Amino acid sequence: MRPQPPQVMMGMAGVLMLKLAPELQTPFAQQNIGSVAGILSMLAQEYDRAAARFAEENDAMVALFRRASRAMPTGAIRSKMLQEIAANPNADLHVSKLQAENDRLRRMLVEVQALVETLPGEEAAAINEEIWDELRESTRRRHIMFG
Amino acid sequence: MDATALERYMEPRLPGASGLKVTNLLRIPGGASRETWMYDAEWTEAGQPKTSPFIVRIDPPASLVESEREVEYAFYRAYAGTSVPVPGMRWLEQDPQHLGAAFFIMDRIVGCDSNPRVILEPRYDAARPMLARRFYEILGEIQRFDWRGSPIESAVPVPAANECWKRELAYWEGMIDKNEQSPNPITRAAIRWLRANPPPPAKKVVVVHGDYRVGNFLYTDEGIHGVLDWEMAHLGDPMEDLAWSCHEVWEWGRDGKKGGIVAQDEAIAVYEKASGMKVDRKALRWWDVFSGVKGQGIWLTGARSYADGRTQELIMVTTSYWLLNFQEEVILRSLGRGA
Repeated sequence: MRPQPPQVMMGMAGVLMLKLAPELQTPFAQQNIGSVAGILSMLAQEYDRAAARFAEENDAMVALFRRASRAMPTGAIRSKMLQEIAANPNADLHVSKLQAENDRLRRMLVEVQALVETLPGEEAAAINEEIWDELRESTRRRHIMFG
Repeated sequence: MDATALERYMEPRLPGASGLKVTNLLRIPGGASRETWMYDAEWTEAGQPKTSPFIVRIDPPASLVESEREVEYAFYRAYAGTSVPVPGMRWLEQDPQHLGAAFFIMDRIVGCDSNPRVILEPRYDAARPMLARRFYEILGEIQRFDWRGSPIESAVPVPAANECWKRELAYWEGMIDKNEQSPNPITRAAIRWLRANPPPPAKKVVVVHGDYRVGNFLYTDEGIHGVLDWEMAHLGDPMEDLAWSCHEVWEWGRDGKKGGIVAQDEAIAVYEKASGMKVDRKALRWWDVFSGVKGQGIWLTGARSYADGRTQELIMVTTSYWLLNFQEEVILRSLGRGA
């Protein structure tokens, strides 16, 4: 089996920091090589998980919209939600396509939350809490580890 | 940066100078809004050799923030000779023919650290409490400064006390609208919260540095010798800088200490004494949530610059992959919605 891209990127980051950076003459060059190493480490994490996190998040948002649609008043936003529920956001597994679907769904999520915040009643409050849960989860999915 | 072009520019502007030479020309790390270069100049004046250290800040093709160099220059000039330490300004040049872009040249304060992580090192253990105290005393001094009649008054708009928050929120929301490539639902929720829970009017309209935090001043174990990076300076609410300096993103030690150097209550106590103003904790919280939105506006601007191919500065990539999400985590916590 050939080395996987995350391993290669992390290895390159290590070479830059441990072998090349000490050879550089100016703080500016050293800082830039440090930045390149840091970015490689971020890309390594993102490479491995990007498709999985987009697919998981897209599914989570569609499920959330499905539950929310039952409590939403009829109107333009509810109609858009019903359209979102009908489509499969993960039909094309290219990261760029998954990202585009994710953008579309997150745009919808902003609209839904803005509406839900204005609605009275426990059901609306419960949906809002569910949206906050999903937002917390979205940051966990994107979290970058250092060191 | 072309040393010869700098020599050609400076020599006729230094009265009586001849044979001016630029040496030790080096780009300084950081300076995400403008390219910053240090150098020494040597020349002869009335038969005597002279030498002096300088900084040149030149406009880049794109940056983390959109700012006007005249505004930054005006704030530096306004504080010259006051208790707020700033480097002396030499020349502001708008004509790009000299160095390829607009720039300004200022005196370089030598022998100092500025890195926000160095101040956390053991060698600063003894001096750190004094530096923290001085940092918040200087904030009070910045805000006590009477900007009326200074170069600041003609450089920036003067908001009414009850308009400060609205102006700033509208500006940064506009930057997010303009630069956002993917939706940021947490930031949008924070903006709605800010509008639904407005702060009281500013106690007085003061100078806001705009990026007042550990990392933007020069220090030694004897004190703070220069407050830098005034590119986002404006007039506004005193709470804006206090909240920004205490914002979680700048907790360099990740230990709850503001700026990595001081507990928030201690910072506020020093600030209140130095500024002569009591801190309204509810207003401070509003400005803390706002700081998250402003931070996101800055990071999104940088990420967009890179995506559009207007810059290859690596800090812009770091903002895209790390800071945007970290900032959202921080906003969640400031809204009381953190994990």
